[in-house]
Amino acid sequence: MAEIEVTGVTKVFGRRDVLRDVSFAVEQGGFLSIMGPNGAGKTTTLRILATLLAPTSGGVRIAGLDPSDDPMPVRRTIGFISHQPLLYLDLTAYENLRFYAEMYGVPERERRISDLLQRVELSHRRYDQVRTFSKGMLQRLAIARALLHQPRVLLLDEPYSGLDPHAVDILDGLLAEIRAEHTFVMVSHSIAKTLELSDQVLVMDGGRVVFRQSGTIDEAHFAAVYREHVSEGVAV
Amino acid sequence: MERSQSLATSPAVVGTAAGEGAVRRLVSAPALLAAAAACLAAGALLGFIWAPTDASTMGFSQKIFYYHVPVAETALLAFGVAFVAAILYLRRHDAKYDRLGVVAIRLGLLFSGLVMITGMIWGKAAWGAWWAWEPRLTTFLVVCLLYGGYFVLRSSVEEEQRRATYAALFAIIAFVDVPITFLATRFMPAGLHPVVFTSSGAQMDHRDLLAFLISMLGMTLFFVGLLRLEVAVERLKDELYYLKNRLGR
Amino acid sequence: MESAALPVTAPALRVTMWRQLYAIVKKDIVSELRTKEMLLSMFLFAVLAMVIFHFAFSVRAQTDLTYFTGGMLWVTFVFAALLGLNRSFVHEKDEGCLDGLLLCPVDRVTIFLAKMTGNLVFLLVIQALAVPVFTLFFVKASYLGDLPAFLAVLVLADLGVCSVGTLLATISMNTKARDLMLPIVFLPLIIPVLIAATSGTTAIFAQTASLGSLGPKLLFLAAYDGIFVLAAYGTYDFAIGE
Repeated sequence: MAEIEVTGVTKVFGRRDVLRDVSFAVEQGGFLSIMGPNGAGKTTTLRILATLLAPTSGGVRIAGLDPSDDPMPVRRTIGFISHQPLLYLDLTAYENLRFYAEMYGVPERERRISDLLQRVELSHRRYDQVRTFSKGMLQRLAIARALLHQPRVLLLDEPYSGLDPHAVDILDGLLAEIRAEHTFVMVSHSIAKTLELSDQVLVMDGGRVVFRQSGTIDEAHFAAVYREHVSEGVAV
Repeated sequence: MERSQSLATSPAVVGTAAGEGAVRRLVSAPALLAAAAACLAAGALLGFIWAPTDASTMGFSQKIFYYHVPVAETALLAFGVAFVAAILYLRRHDAKYDRLGVVAIRLGLLFSGLVMITGMIWGKAAWGAWWAWEPRLTTFLVVCLLYGGYFVLRSSVEEEQRRATYAALFAIIAFVDVPITFLATRFMPAGLHPVVFTSSGAQMDHRDLLAFLISMLGMTLFFVGLLRLEVAVERLKDELYYLKNRLGR
Repeated sequence: MESAALPVTAPALRVTMWRQLYAIVKKDIVSELRTKEMLLSMFLFAVLAMVIFHFAFSVRAQTDLTYFTGGMLWVTFVFAALLGLNRSFVHEKDEGCLDGLLLCPVDRVTIFLAKMTGNLVFLLVIQALAVPVFTLFFVKASYLGDLPAFLAVLVLADLGVCSVGTLLATISMNTKARDLMLPIVFLPLIIPVLIAATSGTTAIFAQTASLGSLGPKLLFLAAYDGIFVLAAYGTYDFAIGE
């Protein structure tokens, strides 16, 4: 059974069809990238996987669990990294991590926090208010936050947006380190990053999957499809 | 092809079957309203001509009771309908419950306004003052302000589903608050004004009672007729808006 | 440094609702203590309100405002509470952290209870500072003997304000009007609390209170609190989710 299974998911907001019959699967250890123009439904799909939204119809299974039965176990298995860091600016790095560790019920909390701060190279800023961090540092701390509870699946919502080259390098390094132990779904606008990291690619447009390829990605074909949909104009 | 597919799969579907339903409601409404008119007329006749004039100090003005109380109870009925509609919406997410809720609360506000007007007229006749902070008038004033907030809330949320959800939540909380508010007004210090000016059931002459019940029935029929009418109109308005948007795409 | 290889199966994450509630309340209090923006504003507002009440009502020299005291006190607190309630989710909203909170394996009702508790704590802190000031300004006779009764009214009314207020703040933070929406929907709903608390408090300040007269009001306030916490319990998923 695949680690992530999405079957015939439809999402309707009032009268707007935001997702129409979306299906895909990601094997354990895989890396799926979802691309497409604005309003295509990429973020909505990710938010459904993150249990922040419920589909109107269709099924979702993550690590064999169905969020519509009980979202709690699913939440314990996923980590979410967004272009917003999801951190409290008035708290210190340590306090932020401790808060989330308490909320998830992470065992051996103090050790885990120290380990993670070390991995993202922020131990020296442990007691500094997050308000003082640069964007790159925020993103690193956000990764630490996402990894606190040792999730199996990592959901990334445009994680590279707004990062300077140095921060991009650090993020690359961290992702490479944890690559082997997780399953990834990433929403991105960067073709380069997508091709570099993924073993499966989806292009969405108007709430539908319009292109799907796994394994070795035929770059030329993919680039052509992408250009066609993204420059076609606004969906919705 | 694509458009008709999503039309078909859209849960708040706009299809000919639904449109027919709306039209049927439109047709039945006049019948209800006619029945309502008959009852209200009968009630008025009986009340004003047949039933005896009230023996107490209020005299003829007591007869406003035939309108004041039914209107009050109808207003509460309207809010109750909205309460149930709200719960149903939260469970089933069907837009028709949202429409029912809006219409019911709009009518409820209308009837609440009438309660205050008839109450004020009664007050002027009974103790010479247009206003008194007595339990029923005060409660309905608060009710008007409360449900007025419902419409302010609705206009402040753009996204359909969220608007309907928040409106439903508010309709539930507001309805729970109505009896609480009425109870609370009992804590207000009793002033110069009489607290109770309803004729209690036991003391009513049977002719009064009959006229009253007929008026009550008439007012309720009036409410239900209006409700059906307005729900149908809302439904057709929604369909029109939706179709216009789809064509515009 | 050796980084632990992450196991394929997640470790047993164990946490109770109470720990999570405590974590959220603690976070909100620590955040607020760092800036003190909200507490300071609420307190200044409360004192300003009292001063304005004095000017509003003391038309003649030596006006005895004893029978206005309950009203003035609770109007002050309701509006000060509104300032605090509007900020219930300010950190989550401004910094995009609401998602972070919703991603946690936490019951939505726990979030409600935590936010309500936080609001209650802030309100009580303000009241602890403002009530002595109010007593100094307006209350002639000592009510120390009736202090338990006064506190009972205070806490029960506060619970009413914070339960309804937190629920409504959750809804209103997602509207276009944001800060303006909360007073409009909140004030009509809080009128019952206002009536009971005002009459009870005035009686205490005027030394005319008795268990017989306060009893029903306290019971009423407790019932109000119970009903609305229950209502929030049933509906909070819809209020905070998408």
